[in-house]
Amino acid sequence: MNAGPEISQAFVVCVSAMFTQNILLTYFLGLCPFLGVSREVKTSMGLGLAVIFVLTSTCMLNWLTYHYVLVPLGLEFFRFILFIIIIAAFVQLVEMVLDRYSPFLYQKLGVFLPLITVNCAILGASLFMVIRDYSFIVTIGYGFGSGLGWFLAIIAMAGIRQKLANERIPQGLQGPGITLIIAGLMALAFMGFSGVLQGT
Amino acid sequence: MVLEILVAVTVVSLIGTVLAALLTICEHFIADYGPCQISINDESDVTVKGGKDLLSMLTAERIFIPSACGGRGTCGLCKLKVLEGAGPLLPTEEPYLEKEERESNVRLACQVKVRGDLKIEIPQELLAVREYTCKCVEITDLTHDIKQFRLELIEPTTIDYIPGQYVQLLTPVYEKSDEEIYRAYSISSNPAEKSVIELIIRLVPGGICTTYCFEYLKVGDEVKINGPYGDFRLLDSDAPIVFIAGGSGMAPIKCMLHHMKNTDNKRKTIYYFGANEPRELLLTDLMREFEKQLANFRFVPVVCEPEDSNVLGCEIGLVTHAVQRDLKNATECEAYLCGSPGMIDATIKVLEELGVSEDKIFYDKF
Amino acid sequence: MTQVGIVMKESPEDRKLEEVLRSSRLAAGGFMGHDNRSVSEVIDADATELSRLGFTKEQVAERMRQITKVAISGLGTWVQVGDGMEGKVDEAKGWLICPWPHKGKLAKRITVVKVIETGESIRWSDLNTHLISEHGFFEGKGSDFRIEPRKLIRTIF
Repeated sequence: MNAGPEISQAFVVCVSAMFTQNILLTYFLGLCPFLGVSREVKTSMGLGLAVIFVLTSTCMLNWLTYHYVLVPLGLEFFRFILFIIIIAAFVQLVEMVLDRYSPFLYQKLGVFLPLITVNCAILGASLFMVIRDYSFIVTIGYGFGSGLGWFLAIIAMAGIRQKLANERIPQGLQGPGITLIIAGLMALAFMGFSGVLQGT
Repeated sequence: MVLEILVAVTVVSLIGTVLAALLTICEHFIADYGPCQISINDESDVTVKGGKDLLSMLTAERIFIPSACGGRGTCGLCKLKVLEGAGPLLPTEEPYLEKEERESNVRLACQVKVRGDLKIEIPQELLAVREYTCKCVEITDLTHDIKQFRLELIEPTTIDYIPGQYVQLLTPVYEKSDEEIYRAYSISSNPAEKSVIELIIRLVPGGICTTYCFEYLKVGDEVKINGPYGDFRLLDSDAPIVFIAGGSGMAPIKCMLHHMKNTDNKRKTIYYFGANEPRELLLTDLMREFEKQLANFRFVPVVCEPEDSNVLGCEIGLVTHAVQRDLKNATECEAYLCGSPGMIDATIKVLEELGVSEDKIFYDKF
Repeated sequence: MTQVGIVMKESPEDRKLEEVLRSSRLAAGGFMGHDNRSVSEVIDADATELSRLGFTKEQVAERMRQITKVAISGLGTWVQVGDGMEGKVDEAKGWLICPWPHKGKLAKRITVVKVIETGESIRWSDLNTHLISEHGFFEGKGSDFRIEPRKLIRTIF
């Protein structure tokens, strides 16, 4: 198998997952923490980085499980359950390892890990990778790109919300209201990227 | 068909089991920190089971480090030197540590997790701190919002302290508080009575511990204290003494006066006690008695809003004004202050104007 | 998007904060009283009320600090702190710790302000002033030290 074209495809998929097919703003996955944990840039940064890491790693793990366990046994329909179990176990394990060996990283990222287990963007990415029939290398690109896209979106949102904190917002729109409107506007802006780069 | 279902179920259960087993095994190896040895001041070692924060480990070993926030890392009081084994400084500690402290390995005990052998340094006086179980034997109303609590020691049966020091009183879980907390109160009793501790406590609106003491604590109840702490104490010299206090600031001064009486101290002593109105004066009779028993002691109550001040023989105005008017030979004096920060700050200013040098002013700020 | 969703996906810091505010770890009865709203809702609602009254939290906190400063000079007695207004400061041993995760240790100092004409009075601790200026938090309804923005402004301005 020639890896060259695959790597370039992975790159294209990665970029399109970040912008044109942003998992958060195009597919509206992982919206809950996006709205709940975007009040401060610092916190969002931690969560975003944790998502990048977990998304990339679980996509890889799930690809391996899918192609080497489920497909040979003809149990593709079980992917929903299995992907969730694997994500949960993986997150647990990473949390444990971080807590033990890197107190610093644990402080920065570890506290967000339990929050990620139930983040639908993680499961979503794993399912898309199956539906779209990506190869392993492309999956790495896709996972990383999706994570990065999610990271960018939440950082942007947190930045906007930090600015908004000092603004006078009509009472009925405060909190979730204005946040959803902003999310909508951001989604429109991200769609604009599709003109720049035609997604795969 | 049946076979298919069986295979499917087996495979899923198998993968689930493998993952669960993997996690359990990892937890066993990774999250188990094993016995960790904490070496304190190069003198003593304690062995604990790792995995929790240093502060609670030390408390469990009956070494009490002052802390006001219950280990959440917001008060910055539980500082101690961790020489080895603490790992890198955590973002949660950074705001509380000055540059010099960081360089000399000072850490917040509540944030440092015990992951292995540690080498720490604890000030000697904290090592002398013990926990005492006591019985409340008497509650006396001193004014409308100040009470005196007399606690008899049960275990251990005696306590040694230096007059002026304080203890921490444990407030148990009660109606208005869902967890145990400690609050500090100065010892007011006669230090000759080693089996008893008296505390003078003023009700603080919304205060967890004072509310407990005033409304829930009854004679006969068991309470826990630990101590003694603090370096507010009388210097051993011949200089005249000026005591200045207000409200429950009476406590450490009373303790010092008892001690002076016990040791037949003849130093020239004057005690200004400030209050809003006459009904807020406390223990005046006892002070008058000290005047008779001590060779050179004068008690000067100062009230701000006199109604029948003539009867009491009070000075009138703020306590700072009285000091300003009344205090002679200020330059020779040692001043000991106990009271609210506002009162102490104002008094220090007045004393310095009167020529008392800064290193002769000692205070126990609330 | 439901309320439950938001609560579930709060950041760990927010969840910890909410927990601390509702516990009586730092003040008897906690900071939230019987208020069921989330902390951010309480803050948002009071911010709205404040802006409707035409003030910013900085202005309010600044005025509170001024009054406390003047009242401290009374050493626990009533002093004039403004037109037809008396103030008094009570201090107790110890500190009040800010529940937010930063270095916030304040004197246990309570300021009481009384409008002589109406007899209306309001009290706040140094922590209240800090919570308002730094976090826009007036405490939950039913808390011992809840401050109603409307009443506060009517009293001190």
